This record gives sequence, C-alpha cells and structure tokens, in this order.
Amino acid sequence: MTGNRNPLIDGLLKLHIALCLIFIFAPIAGSFVFSLNSDRFPSLPLGSFSTEWYRLIWEDPLVWAGFFNTLLVGACVAAIATLLGFGGAYTDFRYKFFGKTAYLALALLPPTIPVVIMGLAMLAFLSRVSLSGNVVSVIIAHGVMCSPFAMAIIRLRLSQMDPDLEAAAWNLGGNEWVTMRHVIIPFTKPAIYAALFITMAVSFDEFAVAWFVSGLNETLPVKVLGFLQGQVSPRINAIGSLAFVSSISFIVIAQLLMRNPDTKTP
Amino acid sequence: MLDTPIVHFDNVVKRFGSFTAVEKADFQIARGEFLAIMGSSGCGKTTTLRMLAGLEDPTEGSILLDGEQINGKPTWERDTPMVWQSLALFPFLTVQENVEFSLKMRKVPKAERRERARKWLDRLDILEFADRNISQLSGGQRQRVALARSLVTEPKILLLDEPLSALDAHLKVRMQSVLSSLQKDLGITFVYVTHSMSEAFSMADRVVIMSRGKIEQIGTPEEIYREPHNRFVADFLGSSNVFSGRLASDGSSVWTVKAEHAAFTVKAPAELQRAPGANVAFAVSSENMSLAPAGASCTGNCVEAVVVGGEFAGASATVFLETDQGQELKVQKGHDELKSVDIRAGQKLLVHWLPEHCHVLPGE
Amino acid sequence: MNTRPSLFSLTFSLPLLIWQLAFFLFPLAFLVALSFWTVRNFQMQPDFDTVNWIKIYSRGVFWDAYFRTLLMASASAVLISLLAFPASYAISFKLRDSVKRWMIFILIIPFFTSYLVRVYSLQVFLSDAGILNAFLGYLGLGPYPMLNNTFGTLAGYATLCLPLVILLQVFSLNFVNRDLVEAAHNMRCGRLQTVLEVIIPSAKAGLVIAALFAFILSFGDFVSPLYLGGGNPPTLSIMITDITKSGQQWPRAAVVALTMIATLLTVAFAAIKFAYREAGK
Repeated sequence: MTGNRNPLIDGLLKLHIALCLIFIFAPIAGSFVFSLNSDRFPSLPLGSFSTEWYRLIWEDPLVWAGFFNTLLVGACVAAIATLLGFGGAYTDFRYKFFGKTAYLALALLPPTIPVVIMGLAMLAFLSRVSLSGNVVSVIIAHGVMCSPFAMAIIRLRLSQMDPDLEAAAWNLGGNEWVTMRHVIIPFTKPAIYAALFITMAVSFDEFAVAWFVSGLNETLPVKVLGFLQGQVSPRINAIGSLAFVSSISFIVIAQLLMRNPDTKTP
Repeated sequence: MLDTPIVHFDNVVKRFGSFTAVEKADFQIARGEFLAIMGSSGCGKTTTLRMLAGLEDPTEGSILLDGEQINGKPTWERDTPMVWQSLALFPFLTVQENVEFSLKMRKVPKAERRERARKWLDRLDILEFADRNISQLSGGQRQRVALARSLVTEPKILLLDEPLSALDAHLKVRMQSVLSSLQKDLGITFVYVTHSMSEAFSMADRVVIMSRGKIEQIGTPEEIYREPHNRFVADFLGSSNVFSGRLASDGSSVWTVKAEHAAFTVKAPAELQRAPGANVAFAVSSENMSLAPAGASCTGNCVEAVVVGGEFAGASATVFLETDQGQELKVQKGHDELKSVDIRAGQKLLVHWLPEHCHVLPGE
Repeated sequence: MNTRPSLFSLTFSLPLLIWQLAFFLFPLAFLVALSFWTVRNFQMQPDFDTVNWIKIYSRGVFWDAYFRTLLMASASAVLISLLAFPASYAISFKLRDSVKRWMIFILIIPFFTSYLVRVYSLQVFLSDAGILNAFLGYLGLGPYPMLNNTFGTLAGYATLCLPLVILLQVFSLNFVNRDLVEAAHNMRCGRLQTVLEVIIPSAKAGLVIAALFAFILSFGDFVSPLYLGGGNPPTLSIMITDITKSGQQWPRAAVVALTMIATLLTVAFAAIKFAYREAGK
C-alpha cells in the first residue's frame, strides 16, 4: 500500500478527521469553558473567569433534589437492568428455542424506538396503572431502555468464554446452579461491573422519557430541560460539566474493570 | 461384578432433528481397557463420548455404566470426567483451584481437598505451578492440569476428547507416553476420541472406527491393520489398494476374482463363504506391491499403470499410479527396490503382487 | 435438549421477557388502543372511535409536519453519511492500529455527555452574536443566521448522530478485505475509483445501517428542531410533546406516534433489505 500513498490526499483526509472531531467536541469543551465564564451569554472575546454558576447550582435546593433523584434512579436502574440483561445474555448464550428471534427482538429493540414515542407510551400506560409521576416510573422506563445495553455487554463477554467451560464444570460434578455461581458469574464479573456503570451513565443522561413520566420528581437532566425551556441560564453548563465528569468516571472505571480480566496475579 | 463390562452401549441412536449423528452403536468397553474411537470430523465419535459423559441424551437405546442404566442421568451425577479438546480450564482460577474444583463440588473439606489436589499435581510433575494462573502455563503444562483435574476424584473411567490436538508434534509424542503409562499404572478405563491414526494405534488396546455415525470396525490395532473389515476402513487407513470384481471360481485355497479388464488370484479367506458370481472386494497393502518395467514377465497378479506422482519420506517412497481404467494405486517401497524402475511421471510400469497378500474384505 | 424448560432456564430468561412485555411491548400496544379513545370534558374515555385518526389525518398542518420531518431526517441521514465517510475512510484505511483504537475510544465519549447540554452549548456557538459569528466577524464576514432555522436543526442532528455514524462506518470499513483494494489497484483501478467501485460496495451493508441510524435518531429527536431550529413550524416529535404536555389530547398524540412508528418500520425494512441485497440473482 505504501507505494500508493499520496501525501496531499492523506493530509486532507486527516484534516477532515480533525474538523469532524472539532465539530463533535467543540460543544462539549465549550460547555466547560462557558460554565467558568462570567458572561450570561458568552461570545468572543470571552468574559472573565467565574465560579458563579457553580455557586448558583450549589445553592439551588431543586438541583440538589434532582441530583438525589438521579442518583437513586441511576442506582436502581443499574441493578435492575444488569440483572435483567444478565438473564437475557445467558439465555441467548445457552439456549435455542422456538421464538428466540422474537425474544431477542423484544429484549434489544427499545433503544431504536424514538424517545418521544417511548415517553408517550410509558406516560399513557403508567398513568393508567397509577405508576406515573414518581421516581418508580422513571426507574421502570429506564429499566426498559438500559437492559439492552447491559445484555449486549454481558453477551459479548460470554462469547469470549470457551463454550466447553460450562459443560466441563457440570462434568466435574457441579449442577447448573452451582456452575452458575462458580463458573459463569466469576467469568462474566468484569462485564457485570461494566454493565452496572454504563447503564448508570445512560440513566444519568436520559432526559426525554424521564421528562414525560417523572411528574414533580424530576431527575437532573429533566431539570436541565426545564432550564432550557425557560430563560437562558449557564447553570446548564455547570450541571452538564459535573454530569460529564461523573459519567466519564463511571466509564473509565468500567473500562478498567473490562481490561485484562483473565490475567489474575497470584 | 468385575466381569461385567464397565460400559455397554446397547443399540444407541442419537439424532439431532433429522440428522442422525450416531446410528445403532452397540459395543462394550472392558474394565481397564484403553479404547480409542477414531474417525474423521463429523463421524459421531465426539457425540458418542458426550453421551457417555451425560452431555447428550441418546435418542434410542441405552447406555450402561457399571451395569447401571444411566440414560437421562445428568453429567454432574455421573463420575465420568472428561478431558476436553479445548481443555476447558477455568481461566479465573489458579492451577490448584482448577484441580480442586470437582472435590469442591463434592463438598470435600478444604484441607483434604488441598492435599488430594497437591498429590495429583505432584504425580503429574506440575506441583511447582500450583499457584500460577492458567494463562502463564505452556500447552503441555495445561494438558497436565486438565488431566489432574479429571483424575483427582479417582474415577473408574476417564474420557478424552482429542486432548492432544493442540500440541506440536514433539510434545504430542511425549504426552502419548505420559497417557499410556498413566493408564497402565492407574488401571482405569480410558476412552479416547481422536482423528489421528497414529495416536489411536500407538496407545489403544482396541480401536473403534466410525464413519457417518456408523461403527465400521472394532478390533485391536493389529486386527484392523491386517484385516480391514470393509472398503471404508481400508481406505481410511490409507495404506491399502482395494480391488473389486465377481467371484469366478472358489477353489479350496484360492479364489479367482474377475474384474472388468483383469482377473485376480486371491488367497481364499478361512471363514467366509461366497457363492460364485457374488461381488468380492479385496485389499492389498501398498507395502506388499512391487513395481517392474512394463512388459516384464508377470508372477501372481499384475496390472499395468502409469506413474502420476511420488512422495519421498525417509527410507521409503510412495509411488502413485493410475491404471487405464482410472483406478489409483499406491506402492510403498524402500529406495533400493525402486532403483530398478523409472518412476518419473508418465512412465508405464507393471504393478504386481502375490495372492497371499490379498485380504478379502468381509464387509463388502 | 429437554423439551420442557427447566426451572433453571426460566429463572434467567423470564424476568427480562416479563419486564419488556409489561413495560415495553404492552405500552406500545396500549398506544394503539389509546388512539381510538375519545376525550370528553377533558377526560379520556375508553372507546372505539376513529375520530382521532380522521382529525389528525385531515389536517394540513399534520401532513406539512410529516413531510417536513421525513425530508429533514432523510437530508440528515444523507448529509451526515457524506460528512462522515471521508473521516471513517481515513480512520479505517490511513491510520495506524493504535491511533485507530484511540480514535474509536474518543468517538465513544460523546455518548456519555448530555445531549441537552451539547445543544445548549451549540446555541451559544450558533446564535447571531455567538462565538461563530463573532469569529467570522474578525475575518470580515457575516453575521450569518445559523440559529432558529433549518441549518440549526441539521447542526443539532449532526451533533447527535455524527459520532455514531462514523463509528458504524469505521466498523464496516474495517471488515473490507484489504486484498480487494490491492487487487483493484493491480487491475489499474485508480484511488477514487477504488473507493467508489470496491470499498463502498464491500461495506454497503454497514454504510446503509449507519445512515438508517442517523435517520431514526433525527426522525424522533425533538430537542434540535425545538431549541436550534426554533420549533416553528413543528416536526412530528415537537407535535407529540406539545399535545402531550398541553392537555388531555393524548389519543391524538398516539395517532402521531403510531404514524411515526409505521414510517420508521417501513424505512428500516426497506433499508435493511437494500443493505443485504446480494449481487446477481
């Protein structure tokens, strides 16, 4: 291939990559910068450095309430979605049965349905069964949306497992339950942790469905949506920056847990 | 009790949907025997082993282990440990923990577990790696861990599913001798599935040859080698040439077999009756055939054939030829014996052999 | 092996099945029922009346919104795919493996940032007195209106979809057999021609799926058209949020939602069929 390289074309292509990355990351970086800027509506030249917006959200009891709701929802969703996802991943890994395609479609399709429609359907249904307008309804909705992610992560890990491993454990005298505890769960443990963190991160950022069903018990992203609908407020940037830092910490932790799971030092 | 076979396959059939993986397997395995099940991939050998281990259920027939019918008994309730082709060692456990696994499943107290595991690690010369992770071991060492893990419960029977296929040639031979001597010392039954003739013939007391779900022949390596039952076995061993024709006359010591373009004189088999006119097939080992220049005088059986190629390995060479009728022949000879003939491709030669070297295939 | 499922297998397979049936499939099915309910005195009543369907479908505003949304989402899928392809091609073919892995990691990061926050930040960039126009002003250009118009909406869609589209394209390009490219060069196929005649056909399925995802996300998004596009005239998603949050006309929102689902399914099936169509018969 080296003989066919044209430095000009390669250079232009790399420039294009750089421009795409700038387009993708400018708003993210921008929100960090704006969150520490004194201007209500920043432009060039930038105003002075300020932690005003962080102070404002720090002192806003509604933000705190939203934060605790988000945390509570995130923790519950992570646990539920990972449990459900683990079961689905193991079912797909182990069994062949009539209607498996339908089972997998039902398990994995939720992320492809537009959030507005999910939100409307959830709101209409949950209010019928008197579950809407509270934190439980957000947990239920996020459970539906996050379990496919957990399932995909755990299924990926299971596909890395020697397919004979489970049968070997049965053959050595462990029944299915014992083998689950001593072989399948230890093997998938890194993926289980990763699924916990990633589903929590997804729940942390989800606003649309939560906005439809949460009622007065708003999570933080719903709060942000509220700010966006009201007057211009750089508090969004401050909240967004904090949320980004926490999400990324979750992902980094998940990455660290996923890495080199097989090498165990003695 | 000791006279009963340890394993009895009683007309066992295994189907996966419409596909028959194993057809009417009916054989016994004696106590303390080293039995190899051999065949190419997809022949049903692994399915047979997995049914014995309890990982598959027979569709028909029954399997008796120690005189007891074990159909439907889950593998974790049997004591039929298996060594897997992939070894299936637990990557998240240490060597010691791997070996202890089945004792842990049997709720053996921790101290005893540890002691018994160490005994087997020691016996297989891998005690020094006890606390290592599996990923730090070489192929041969992993092999020994897999063996120790299966033997730690001191079972009466050990199942091995192509355990050596991942090793290089040198290590393979070493492990073969380890397995052979282990089996003799322990006196337990080994059931060994392989596609390799050299593994099966060098270690096993008896060999089962399977193809497309059917058992083609069971016997000692010598029996199978000298008296293949049918064309499949003769072809599978790869060292024989098979001819077929109609029985023209059945004298007391020799038969005359007429093919389309030739007639052969064949030593009459001792325990086989065929009516004149019946189809007969016989095999001639490639080592027992000789080559002469075309037009040389013929003793015994002769056919003319053209050289199509050759393979030279060590002290002997195999010459591949083709007759006018398109039948392929192979002749294996020492280099000295080949000096007198021109074996370049395209040469026409006379292939000849004696009637006593013809083995009539009873299964054809 | 067993025909009857064991307690063990049910323990793992059933919870997810029940959860998704009860809280995913059932609510979607309920939307269908809801679309036939009637509203009297601001109260919804179970009914079987096609009034909502007739009302919505007979309104020009709905069809305007429908075709505008369809057009915007299609434009978004095509434009974002075109924008992404040179980058994906360069990442897959021109970068070293280690850089490639970093690139993929970097492109995953946006998924864990709040879309809302990014859209808000984009407002600051795009507004008339915003960062971008101020910057162009230094160069003696503009100001250009970039907010509250179609450009704003598409920029928002791109923020949402571009990382995903690039990732999906890179994954499918990574599967293109490198020997094919060399074979094409060997047969005197030029650089651009090889991309068009060998690489794109080889990676077709992945490229179409990537565009399909861009379409689905853009079609359903209400944040960009509202906060960057100005929200007027509305898209279907904005219509749903407006109807839902401003009263009890949920049955009508259900009609809009079901129409959207039907459209998405049709487009998805057509795209997948096109993506996996084999050459020849």
